[in-house]
Amino acid sequence: MTLPIAIKSGSTAHQLTRVAAIAAIAAVVYNFYLNGKPSTLGSLTEACILATTAVALNLLLGFNGQISIGHSAFVGLGGFASGYAVNQLHWNPYASFLLAVILCFVIGLVLGLPALRLKGPYLALVTLAVAFVFPTIAGKFLDRKLKRATKINGLRLKPPTWTGLKPTRTDTAVFIYLLAVVLLVVAYVIVRNLRTSRIGRSLVAVRDNETAAAVMGVNLRFTKTITFGVSAAIAGAAGWVSAAYFSTMTVASFTVRDSIVYLLALFLGGAATLTGPIVGAFVYYFLNKYLLDHAKNWTWLPGPLAGGPVAPFLLGVLVISFVFVAPFGLVGFVKAQGRRFFVIAPRPLELAATTPQLVEHSTAAADET
Amino acid sequence: MTDFLQYVINGLAKGSVYSLLALGLVVIYRGTGHLNFAQGEMALFATFGTLWMYSQGLQLWAALIITALLSFLGGGVIEFGLMRPAGKKSPLAVVVVAIGLFQGLNALSGLVYKGSADGLHFPSLFPNGTNDFYRIGGTCKGSVCTGGVVWRYQDIGTLVTVLVLTALLFLLFQKTKVGLAMRMVANNPDSAKLVGVSTNRILMMSWGLSSAVGVVGGTVFAGITANINLFLMFQVFLLASAAATLGGLDSPGGAVIGGLSLGVVESLVENYPKHWWFGDYIGQSTAIAVAFVIILAVLLVKPSGLFGSSRVERV
Repeated sequence: MTLPIAIKSGSTAHQLTRVAAIAAIAAVVYNFYLNGKPSTLGSLTEACILATTAVALNLLLGFNGQISIGHSAFVGLGGFASGYAVNQLHWNPYASFLLAVILCFVIGLVLGLPALRLKGPYLALVTLAVAFVFPTIAGKFLDRKLKRATKINGLRLKPPTWTGLKPTRTDTAVFIYLLAVVLLVVAYVIVRNLRTSRIGRSLVAVRDNETAAAVMGVNLRFTKTITFGVSAAIAGAAGWVSAAYFSTMTVASFTVRDSIVYLLALFLGGAATLTGPIVGAFVYYFLNKYLLDHAKNWTWLPGPLAGGPVAPFLLGVLVISFVFVAPFGLVGFVKAQGRRFFVIAPRPLELAATTPQLVEHSTAAADET
Repeated sequence: MTDFLQYVINGLAKGSVYSLLALGLVVIYRGTGHLNFAQGEMALFATFGTLWMYSQGLQLWAALIITALLSFLGGGVIEFGLMRPAGKKSPLAVVVVAIGLFQGLNALSGLVYKGSADGLHFPSLFPNGTNDFYRIGGTCKGSVCTGGVVWRYQDIGTLVTVLVLTALLFLLFQKTKVGLAMRMVANNPDSAKLVGVSTNRILMMSWGLSSAVGVVGGTVFAGITANINLFLMFQVFLLASAAATLGGLDSPGGAVIGGLSLGVVESLVENYPKHWWFGDYIGQSTAIAVAFVIILAVLLVKPSGLFGSSRVERV
């Protein structure tokens, strides 16, 4: 058999590989649900939060080409707004989810408005400013409203009885872990469906050439602001999960540095791929955790690197080297390698009845010139 | 009125540092069309280097000149080794490299220079004792003077250093062959290549200049705050990029004006609203927020800054 093996898109074999992949992921998730220690589940929850944010960022940056260094502000807004609503206004924690998402969606739309006029570095700067200003404003707000300068309590969610989980520490950790996984999957599905729909195609068209997209009838304003809004809303949902996960949140938890971590995670996995942000976030999170725990003891590292907190440095170097080794991230790299063995052949287009006329017309036009 | 003048004068010193770094950003933006996110951290790393040399017994001025020269080389190496190959891949790749550099250099500063995370004392380039100032106006009884506007030697020195450096840069741009080549590359890289300008060498030089200017800004700024830590230059970078954006990313003059006015606005906002009803919301830490709101307003009216040229795209 000659390589690469072609698998027809939509054929049984293709569907089977998909089912196998989903089953494998579900098995891993289920395994941690059964056997996970609270600390492991906590790490997984944090990784899921990072992944959800990276998915949101990917929609905006990867598919729509608008850079945002301000997503930490949306995550923080989602977290703080829901925490405030639950603790101070005594909302139902699940209603506060809607608040986080809707609030972030609206603020995202508003921030998308300057994005209509600003391009590239100008937009990056505005979002950077938002991320920079958010902790200060949030801190001032808490200071005024709560008489507690920097902290706000989390949601203190307890698993509802229908889940069969008890309100113990372990079971709560399991519940929040499942919640984070479900939200990540929902975010992934939303972005995936958007990407393959008419809207998704217009997103990419806007990214590749705004003028050409506008000429072909894409509504630039609508597309760009809505993308900003949806991306912010998903980030807000991630913020809600972090409010559910952390017992207290400080304004220092959502700074520009976190925005930069989201970007690094996204680039590590591969921007503009569907699974890239998720893979990148998990790899980034656990690599960072591993380095934080173990790199202290690496005395063989040269000079000043030995024995210090090298994790951020090594991750920065890793991301830079990825630009040259694997420009489309981990997922892009694996895909490129996999293509040597398997190719997914697209379904042949079914010719519509009107097509021959179009062809005749265009040849006639070609003859005239 | 004297209060007002005092705040303006205080703001000018910091503002001049913003305009210096903004100038560095503009030099790179004109050449490559990219905002160098790592500018602040590059300057931070080099400024720590100045401090290290000073602690080894060198004069601060001498240490600054040496690190500025080294930064010039370092900037060139970063352009040659990282930015140029990344630029050949995609515009996004340049952003990735810059953000990676941002994180990497910041972490490296923390690793290489011990105690940098907690902050280290930083010496001033200028006399900075309790009596080192000019008093403009005010009343004197014998040898004791009060009131008037106090202008510290430190602030004067900073302002003068920056203005001299800016003037030199303008001379370089306008009067030398290298400057002419730089302007050509900024204006139209392809045509510049056609008439025999080595664009690569010019870009390396732009990065070098930008880094050298950055370390001067960093050293002067650390002198004003008398302290250096890992977060120092991030805030300066943020305000410098805001200044460059305000003035228009491709206008050196705009960067200088933007930086100075941002410094003044920051100082005024920090000090004025104390007595007003919304003073609780606006104060020292939110001065930057106000500055950004102003910039956002300017950008919405003029998307390419006050003095920037809007590019006409040919379809």
